[in-house]
Amino acid sequence: MAELSFTLNGQAQTLTVDSGTPLLWVLREQLAMTGTKFGCGMGLCGACTVHLDGSPIRSCSYPVEFVDGRNITTIEGLASADDVLHPVQQAWLEMSVPQCGYCQSGQIMSAVALLETNQTPSDADIDAAMSGNICRCGTYPRVRKAIHRAAELSVQYYQPVDKESEAAS
Amino acid sequence: MSLSRRNFIKSTALLGGGIAIGFNLTGCSKSPPFPNMSSTALQPNAFLQVTAEGDVILQLHKSEMGQGVFTGLTTLAAEELNMDPAQIIVQHAEFHPDFRDPEFYVMITGGSSSVRLSFVSIREAAATLAAILKSAAAQQLNLPESSLSVVDGKVVHASGDILFADIVDTARTIPSPEAVTLTAPQDFKYIGYYNQRLDARAKVTGSSQFGIDVQYPEALTAVLIRSPDFGGRAKSFDAIAALAKSGVRTVLDVDGAVAVVADTYWQARQAASAVTIEWEKGPLSGVSSDTLRNERHTLLETESGKNVEEKGEQSAASGDEVTALYNVPYLAHATMEPMNALAVVSPESIEIWTGNQSPDIALSAIADATGYRREQIRIHNQMLGGGFGRRILSDYLVEAARVAQLSGFPIKVVWSREDDMRGDFYRPNSSVKMSATIDNNVVTSLQAKVAAPSIMGQFVGAVSNTLMPQWIPDGLHNKLAGLAASSDPAATEGLVENDYQFPYMRTDYIMQETSIPIGYWRSVGHSQNAFFMESFIDELAARTGQDPLQFRLNHLPADSRRRKVIEEAAARADWGKPEAGQFQGIAVHESFHTMVAQVVSVSIEGKKIKVHKVVCVVECGIAVNPDIVSAQMEGGIVFALTAALKGDITVVDGAVQQSNFHNYEMLRMNETPEIEVHIMPSAESPTGVGEPGVPPLAPALANAVFAATGQRLRQLPLKLS
Repeated sequence: MAELSFTLNGQAQTLTVDSGTPLLWVLREQLAMTGTKFGCGMGLCGACTVHLDGSPIRSCSYPVEFVDGRNITTIEGLASADDVLHPVQQAWLEMSVPQCGYCQSGQIMSAVALLETNQTPSDADIDAAMSGNICRCGTYPRVRKAIHRAAELSVQYYQPVDKESEAAS
Repeated sequence: MSLSRRNFIKSTALLGGGIAIGFNLTGCSKSPPFPNMSSTALQPNAFLQVTAEGDVILQLHKSEMGQGVFTGLTTLAAEELNMDPAQIIVQHAEFHPDFRDPEFYVMITGGSSSVRLSFVSIREAAATLAAILKSAAAQQLNLPESSLSVVDGKVVHASGDILFADIVDTARTIPSPEAVTLTAPQDFKYIGYYNQRLDARAKVTGSSQFGIDVQYPEALTAVLIRSPDFGGRAKSFDAIAALAKSGVRTVLDVDGAVAVVADTYWQARQAASAVTIEWEKGPLSGVSSDTLRNERHTLLETESGKNVEEKGEQSAASGDEVTALYNVPYLAHATMEPMNALAVVSPESIEIWTGNQSPDIALSAIADATGYRREQIRIHNQMLGGGFGRRILSDYLVEAARVAQLSGFPIKVVWSREDDMRGDFYRPNSSVKMSATIDNNVVTSLQAKVAAPSIMGQFVGAVSNTLMPQWIPDGLHNKLAGLAASSDPAATEGLVENDYQFPYMRTDYIMQETSIPIGYWRSVGHSQNAFFMESFIDELAARTGQDPLQFRLNHLPADSRRRKVIEEAAARADWGKPEAGQFQGIAVHESFHTMVAQVVSVSIEGKKIKVHKVVCVVECGIAVNPDIVSAQMEGGIVFALTAALKGDITVVDGAVQQSNFHNYEMLRMNETPEIEVHIMPSAESPTGVGEPGVPPLAPALANAVFAATGQRLRQLPLKLS
């Protein structure tokens, strides 16, 4: 057993867990955050993707003790409020991406991570960033369109922040 | 007898454009109460209710597994209630006899039939509700009905809006009208126009609840260790080391498998690897997919099989014979959400939370396995993280019920990906001898001889207790299964009943007795039979020196729907004018009453097949939600590309060799072509869309590979030599 503390979607968490438990199961079972999904248990499908200090990781294969003292963001932490979706989620709605929806949390977390490092991804960039996420329903063409759309929305989304920072400087 | 207990199933109207619909009364009803019944709500039928607060609730009697019924069926109700589909509250329905399918006779989601078979019944249910609400408002406020209309969840009058909540009590006293008039297609406001998905928002925020997400107080997690080979059983096991591990509560034998029950999934999974089990081999020990395939090839040479279809006179089959042997492997469904179910068992009842395609079949299966009566069991359906036919089966619900029953705990059974890959009900492997005769460059006959195991043969025995009283002895169920097996339509569907014209046409079926468990896999028999038929048609075009499109047109009647759709696809794809360095292949196939044609463009790099583009034309009657129709075609194409390029489940010694996505690969983003979908305009009633996008892809792709390389690949997955 190990005691550890980390930040989950902006909230401090302190937990006692079995050492070696993958982060996924701590999120889903101990913290009842079920938006992050179990798909393969081997980091092959991406359904369990969350952000660790802003970078995408496969939580099904990530021992939870390694998140001690760090920041985790899950799908539940993306929207800033119930009625204010993240631009990637907004783009996903505009393109009606989800079918069964089971892999979509992981798809969205991978897409957000891509757009945070690359605001104008090419199709090749999207291939590189998204090929670790399997969708059995075959929503890939819409995922691609939605990422391009999210790139457009993100420009507007982040603009006010940029203006503030300019004003401050 | 209550007028509110109406059976909508036998309504006969086609497309109710201003046509009055007749109802069939079913006599004094033995029907159980409607799901979600409330003494304060208006509920004239099983589908719809208005609560005391004025909310409209639709009981979704089909399972949402991505195919869009959550939106599609709600749109049908919304049309007749004249309100935005987003205003309707949708609940997953529990079992009720009124939700039984008029063609399958059970409550089931399959056969791409949900919208087709609900197109009249749900609109009737909604129109009835609207009529009652209008009458109630008229009666309560003493207004002429003609001055009222139902709009956006209110009854509207020149003097002001009347809230549903204010007239529910009156409405509950008003009998259903004998007949209702359905909105004429030219007046549709939502059908054909509504292009959103009602389930999308919850699915992009992570709040959508799948079976695996259900929480229940004090529930424990169980993982099962099943026999490596199908039908094997645990003879004995040693769980001492497992029981010593953190969080483990119990380890028990459950009908031949070993269940490890722990506080969490990870604890159960870790402990499972510490259990040592002595297995008793099952009846398939020694069986491999290679030996099964060789056996089918022998059957094709030695057995005549059962004639399924014959058109024309055998004597017309003149000229030289051409034959080709085609093969497809077993395939797994590989839904993204592994199988799971939560069961809570008390002495009086069993409750199950899960995602399943046929709660009706599951009720019988659980009753059978536990000794409870169907009426004591409730199944709370959730969103399905993929179905594709896998979740028609009840095995994982039965497991959860049995572990809960035997352990005494509320139990969530969660399968690993490995469990899922190795414990599926697979798309059957199949071998087909295609043959034709060619006389003076004219094809005079086309024949198909199929050797394959029978899904029906396995399935009917397992589910006939749903359709027949439980006192019928097992022997009779088995006999029925045997009867069904030898003429299983799923084995030859798509080879028969097409409108290609040759002087002599014939299809025969030989059932292969031995198989691992098989089941219904998105598009079922069409998934392989379109590959056989449309590849061989292409072979005949090449042999007679004709363009593949022109050859098909030459053998189709002038008024053929197949002709119209393939011509449209050819036009949309610039057939005959591929991009530089690319090659085209074409195929058309009808399944689930829908016609789909696809043109695939490929290039070849070494031995690698690169798919650049798929142009898809679909004719599916009225597209209730055109964007979902497009999405289903796109998804069907990606699903079919996985099967055509990668899918191969192999069996050695009665056990599946693949285990996870590294050795049973899925198509990924970087391999996904551009997909263009065109929906043919139609005023006909809707037909299926969930499955029909799958079948034409493999042959169109194989035909493109032939165009590019001259290699005729007669086996899936496609591999260049």
